[in-house]
Amino acid sequence: MQAEAQIKCRNLWKVFGANPKQFLKKHHGNPSAEALNEEGYIGAVQDVSFDVNQGEILIIMGLSGSGKSTLIRCITRLNDPTAGEMEYEGRDLLKLSDRELIDIRRHKMGMVFQNFGLLPHRDVLENVAFPLEVQGVPKADRVERAKQMIELVGLGGRESYFPRELSGGQQQRVGIARSLAVEPDIWFLDEPFSALDPLIRAEMQDEFIRLQTMLKKTIVFITHDFEEATKLADRIGIMKDGRMVQMDTPEQIVLNPADDYVAEFAKNAPHERIVSVRAIMGPVAADAVGSVESTAKIGSCAEQVLTGEHPVAVVDPATHEVVGSIDRHRIATSIFGRRAA
Amino acid sequence: MKYALKGALVAAMMAVPGLAFAEAESDDPIIIVQNNWTSQLVLSYVVGKALEAEGYTVEYAPSDSQLQFQAIADGDMHFQVEAWEGSMKSAFEKAVENGMVDAGTHSAATREEWWIPNYVLEKCPGAGSWQGLDRCAEMFATAETKPKGRFVGPPADWGKNYADRIDALEMNFEAINVGQAATLWAELQSAYDRKEPIVLFNWTPNFIESKFEGQFVDFPAPSAACNEVKEWGPNPNATGDCGAPHSGWLKKAAWSGLAEKYPGAWSMMQNIDFSNAQIAAAALMVDVDGMEPEEAAEKWIEDNADVVAGWKG
Amino acid sequence: MTEVMAHRPSEGLSLARLPGWVHFALIMVAGVLLSLVWEGATRWPEAWVIPAEPWLTGYIEWLKNDATIFGVEFKEITRGIGAALKAPVKWAEYLLYRGFKGIGLGPLPWVAVAAGVIIFAHWVGDWKLVALCVFSMIYLAVFNVWKDSMKTMTIVIVAVPMAALLGVVLGIWVTRSRIAERIFTPMFDLMQAIPHMAYLAPVAALFAFGPVTALIATVIFAMPPMARCTILGLQTVSSDVLEAGQMSGCTKRQALWKVALPSSKRTLMLGLNQVVMQTLAMVVIASIAGATGLGHKLLYSLQQLRLGVAIEQGIAITLIAIVLDRLTQAYAYKETDHFAAEKSWVQRHKHMLTFLVILVVSYIAAEFYRWVNIPPSKFTYMVDGEKVTLFDAKQLARTIDAALREFNTWAYPYINPIRDWTTINVLIPTRDFFLWLPWPVFVGVIALAALRLGGLGVMLLCIALAMSFIVTGFWEQAMKTTYVVLIAATISVLIGVPLGVLAANPVLLMPPILMLIGIIEIYQIVAWLLVPLTVPDIVIFSTTIDIAVFATIAVLAVLFLALSPRLREVIFIVFAIKQIVDVIFWILSLLITLISSIGGGDVSGFSAALMSGLPSAAWIVTALLLLRGVGDGLFQGSPLVNLAQFFQSVTRVILSTCDTLQTFPSFIYLIPAIMLFKIGDFANIFAIIPYAMVPAIRYTYLGLKRIPPVTVEAAIANGTTPMQRLWKVELPVALPEIMLGLNQTILFALAMTAITALIGSTDLGQEVVRSISTQNFGRGILAGLFIAALGIIADRLIGSWAAERKRQLGVA
Repeated sequence: MQAEAQIKCRNLWKVFGANPKQFLKKHHGNPSAEALNEEGYIGAVQDVSFDVNQGEILIIMGLSGSGKSTLIRCITRLNDPTAGEMEYEGRDLLKLSDRELIDIRRHKMGMVFQNFGLLPHRDVLENVAFPLEVQGVPKADRVERAKQMIELVGLGGRESYFPRELSGGQQQRVGIARSLAVEPDIWFLDEPFSALDPLIRAEMQDEFIRLQTMLKKTIVFITHDFEEATKLADRIGIMKDGRMVQMDTPEQIVLNPADDYVAEFAKNAPHERIVSVRAIMGPVAADAVGSVESTAKIGSCAEQVLTGEHPVAVVDPATHEVVGSIDRHRIATSIFGRRAA
Repeated sequence: MKYALKGALVAAMMAVPGLAFAEAESDDPIIIVQNNWTSQLVLSYVVGKALEAEGYTVEYAPSDSQLQFQAIADGDMHFQVEAWEGSMKSAFEKAVENGMVDAGTHSAATREEWWIPNYVLEKCPGAGSWQGLDRCAEMFATAETKPKGRFVGPPADWGKNYADRIDALEMNFEAINVGQAATLWAELQSAYDRKEPIVLFNWTPNFIESKFEGQFVDFPAPSAACNEVKEWGPNPNATGDCGAPHSGWLKKAAWSGLAEKYPGAWSMMQNIDFSNAQIAAAALMVDVDGMEPEEAAEKWIEDNADVVAGWKG
Repeated sequence: MTEVMAHRPSEGLSLARLPGWVHFALIMVAGVLLSLVWEGATRWPEAWVIPAEPWLTGYIEWLKNDATIFGVEFKEITRGIGAALKAPVKWAEYLLYRGFKGIGLGPLPWVAVAAGVIIFAHWVGDWKLVALCVFSMIYLAVFNVWKDSMKTMTIVIVAVPMAALLGVVLGIWVTRSRIAERIFTPMFDLMQAIPHMAYLAPVAALFAFGPVTALIATVIFAMPPMARCTILGLQTVSSDVLEAGQMSGCTKRQALWKVALPSSKRTLMLGLNQVVMQTLAMVVIASIAGATGLGHKLLYSLQQLRLGVAIEQGIAITLIAIVLDRLTQAYAYKETDHFAAEKSWVQRHKHMLTFLVILVVSYIAAEFYRWVNIPPSKFTYMVDGEKVTLFDAKQLARTIDAALREFNTWAYPYINPIRDWTTINVLIPTRDFFLWLPWPVFVGVIALAALRLGGLGVMLLCIALAMSFIVTGFWEQAMKTTYVVLIAATISVLIGVPLGVLAANPVLLMPPILMLIGIIEIYQIVAWLLVPLTVPDIVIFSTTIDIAVFATIAVLAVLFLALSPRLREVIFIVFAIKQIVDVIFWILSLLITLISSIGGGDVSGFSAALMSGLPSAAWIVTALLLLRGVGDGLFQGSPLVNLAQFFQSVTRVILSTCDTLQTFPSFIYLIPAIMLFKIGDFANIFAIIPYAMVPAIRYTYLGLKRIPPVTVEAAIANGTTPMQRLWKVELPVALPEIMLGLNQTILFALAMTAITALIGSTDLGQEVVRSISTQNFGRGILAGLFIAALGIIADRLIGSWAAERKRQLGVA
């Protein structure tokens, strides 16, 4: 990725226990799993380093207890990390004063929560206007802005409803509207759709994609749902037991899983939507009929290849040169083969 | 602006009682203690109304009959019209040590003694005297006291130890202390309705005599010797083998600052003197005629205008 | 499994491997043996007694008379605080019943106050609330308690906001600061566990006698629940909400005031509810310390044995509590009007305007008509030039008195043998056992239990608490308290837990209800045959019908569950009709006798009717329930299911009113208890039970209700009968909660010992009460502290057990 890093994390640790700083120091900043276990400490985040690039959707994925929620709370400084470095647009996040931190949260960051985190005593409008209210935006302005946001997430007309009067999906729309009200540069979403029904979840994912194409925010998105991750992500980071096991594009993760753990996830992933033709094509074939672009996902050309007798030529969309070919066998193996294995 | 307005309003509201204070400063109210029995309530209203007629501001403050004396000594309350020797002697004397003023004794005499309803005499004809009562002791027994008879005694904090007298007279009784005077009356009422034998602590004057028929039990007449000389009295081996005095005092208590602050009221209070008949009449209007204590006080003043006029002299 | 193993003491200590009961037995034997060789184990040696009592009394005397802080007399400081607190009380007095003499304005006319309350109710609530307020205002007016109610309100309207505010502030502080937590958490425990009477005398001595003392004592008592609720509320705000607030860029202050506090509104309102209830529950006790009003009048009524009047005054206190509580709750949950902006100013402020108009008009009218200012003491109207009394509260009170006395005379022969038997065979032996108990056995058993349940810390605390009354020479009183409380708590639990179970499982209610009906029927017949009352014919008629119906129904009731659904419905119908007939007769007979008695007729006729009607009174509820069940059942679905649902809503309402009913002054039922049972521990225990039973019912109900539905469904799926489900699944899972109920029951019973001291006892409660009159501050405070100590021991033992058990069940 050519874009510059908006957030940099280096060797982040978050250890829970009696005296975590002391503990890390004793083990020279890198305790073993045994040491953690023996001394009764929990390493929720262990030695994690990564960048979040401008304008990308970075998805952190892992099972519950893998440390992904703790990680996002470290970056937003809802929890302070035990050790490590974090930079936000070149500023050391860990050295900010309370005042500066509040300022960044008021203007740069937005966050959406798994259980919505709506204020039960305020109606939709007041909830969305809340971040503006606490920073002292005049009432007329914040109502105006909040109404725009409510319109944006499709809840126009429900401004005076209270959270308890809304469905889960609607509540999360309010959460989204609230997090966007301050026009943040970076948007954190902590399992935003996990508490929703599958149908609503799919609808909200589409809604999310729609918003992102309009807003183009830098996004850090947490989920435990690999399919959701592959659907939305530019890059995916997979966490296990507090460590970042692999961070890469969805395609790379599916094709080159770093270890068995990642492979297990990748196995059931919908390859047809993730893997591009380029990754599975064979050499240029003479009897090729028709053509597909090399960056196309295999799912999009499967019908064309499977229903034809002959292989199909693969063309680089940039150079318009034929770079290879693809046939029924390769498609079938790619989509179904691994399941038999 | 909104807040300023609210603030001003609150300030204005706070100032109102302030005004009232300022007005009241010139004649601070005299605070008269009220307890929870009839004669005291009526008489305190009588005194209060008499003082009001003289232009004083009067307030009434309810109080526990024991806590009140310390409060009078401290000047939190100013005047108590009925202080009983029987039940309040120790608290009264302790408060006098701490600065409360003894404002004189009424001519009314009080008596406290064992008391039986008249129907007991039908079942135990001799019960009018202590020996006769002792002979029927078992009739008064309950599960706790069996085979001894039960004597329902006064609240434990009234400073009367009837167990000692029972021992001294070698009576076949056990004294049970109640928690409050109302308990005594509940026991009496309940037994009275069932015509069940009961002997209990009682005193005069109070509302009991207007509602229940009964009499005090005769004990050997008290004397100084009774408490000092063992040989005195029916039991040659014990002191205290005699009854209670037939006339205890009924006093008035006052705050020491009264004389200086309200000289006129203070001299009135010293002159106030109730007799047994007057007290009984006051209580009767409430307990039997069903008047409110305040109404009864007005009626009493009407009926005894000359008495009230006499206090001023 | 591994966890269980880990808790076992390590091997090698052979003593530690013996079963638990052996440990207890060893301690008891050792203690008894010790008492045989050393007399000091039976009675703490006189010479060793720590003279804490004179120290404490001396200390308070010193504070009161001689202490100085930076050259200012301590007494001046406390008196200064007292004087400062007097200002708001004075202001309330001027407003409610004295009037502003300085500016020639009277107190608020009663018409204005009543209208104000009703208008406010209309503004914040629904028609039910309005109806409640209208009823209450009329009640206060016609029962001649208006002026005293206003006097009581002067303390209430100052104490409630003060206690609530102080509670919130302290609660916030405790959640913010470790040190505050360390200091205040045990203090809140103490403030609630010490009987309020214990601190009346010292507070009075330090802060001037009078309304201020009452105010301070009330605030001390009413504040802790608010603080606790604040702490609980703040600690249980969902982390998502708090983090959302933080990420919105709240400063710490904004996070507290705009996020955390409003989000915990529900819990805070619960706290406020408790403050209101506790304040009103203090009304009577506050009058001992110089508060005027209902409490003072009530004590006077009791002193005069005017129980009927006392009951009327007690109901007034309860009504005020209910109204205040419902109004504040409704105000807090009032929906904001989203269309307010579109309405005109007058429309938006119509309630306020109406009130202002009534206020001004009534002030003016009060100048000419006295009844506008204060309700008349008798509501009379003129018929043909003759005064007719519409309603006479005093007459009704006398009728109640007569009825109670008649009941007492009637019931005594049946109850007295029970009382005697229990006293001789249960109470006296138990008391003697506790008095005989060598103290090392008592302390040892508690220590061992504490060690096993809560660990070393709890053990040390419990030993310290138990030793505290031994070394200061209060052993005997403490043991008498322990024995009374243990018996009262046991009975309360034996009654309360089944009631809680039934409330939570309405279907189980059906057979017992039918049984109850059967029992009432039998009673009614027996009463009719044996007790020759002068009953109006109409009552006899209804009883005759009973006999006819009963024979059939009694049999069917027992067989009830074996019947076909259709047959059950038929029974319901028969019952319902019978009930209605019965109740109508009863009301008729009541009306007839009531009218004749108010018209100056014979009162005994009325009370006799009341007597024979009492069983029917119990039936009114039954009849309504059955009717509802049948009505719904005939038209849709099974009557049983409908009934169950209906019961559920009824029990919810009843449980939520339990709180409110506790403001009914317990002093009142001391008197009937004495009349029926005479002075003695039997009467004490009887008076404790209705009060202490409430938490046992409530916690059992809540415990059963909080069982995860999945657990219950799984049990159903496994084919359990309702009874099996109850015994094998629901009760075991709810047990920790039920034990917490027991804990509360013990605390309530302990608190009541200070009240039952007024019947006559010789325990710690009596020491507390006696110290008020003897001004022995030290003795009163110590006795209060020891009552609290007993409560805290019970609390720690049961609390530790319940916490551990909950942890094991994974429901912590």
